[in-house]
Amino acid sequence: MSKYLQFPDLVFRNRELLLAALADLGYGQVEEGENLALYGYEGDQRAETAALVVRRQHVGRLSNDIGFARTPAGYVPLISEYDQRALHGGQLLVRLRTAYSERVVEEVRKRVHGTARRTVEGSLIKIKVRF
Amino acid sequence: MPEIEFRIDPTTGKLELHVKGIAGPACDDVAKIARELLGEPGHEQKTSEYFARPHVQPQIRPRGQR
Repeated sequence: MSKYLQFPDLVFRNRELLLAALADLGYGQVEEGENLALYGYEGDQRAETAALVVRRQHVGRLSNDIGFARTPAGYVPLISEYDQRALHGGQLLVRLRTAYSERVVEEVRKRVHGTARRTVEGSLIKIKVRF
Repeated sequence: MPEIEFRIDPTTGKLELHVKGIAGPACDDVAKIARELLGEPGHEQKTSEYFARPHVQPQIRPRGQR
């Protein structure tokens, strides 16, 4: 059994952008509610609860549910040790954070009614928004 | 033309933004949106542009003229 890890330093402030970022990674089906139970890959209920849950059926055969707990600061990931190691080559949270960052840029562009120009320089993605 | 330069590091997912071409606290409007979506920044630095006064052309009309 793989235990759940919480990542209090990684907070996603905006629910809509988090859902969009999850969809970008292929997790388009997200259950929403309050204190939703999290289940392990064998169907065993875990002690942790969450406000947003990607059920394990939509993650992988050996995966556990992926949850996000709502805190005053935003949504905090609850991911099992196994999934953190296994999903996206161990880069699930980095990929999610990158997708969220891209969604933030797009949201800011919309709000300032700007136009965006994207370039890649080395390992950095640069996006210039003019308005 | 005002511009926001975003930098995303795909190896960490971290986002940095730099607001250019906006003199004065109007820059804070962009910062406010960023805070709403990202939370409090780990590091924030106001550039010299921030402290520049917006240029306002004074208009003086002689008395009696409308």
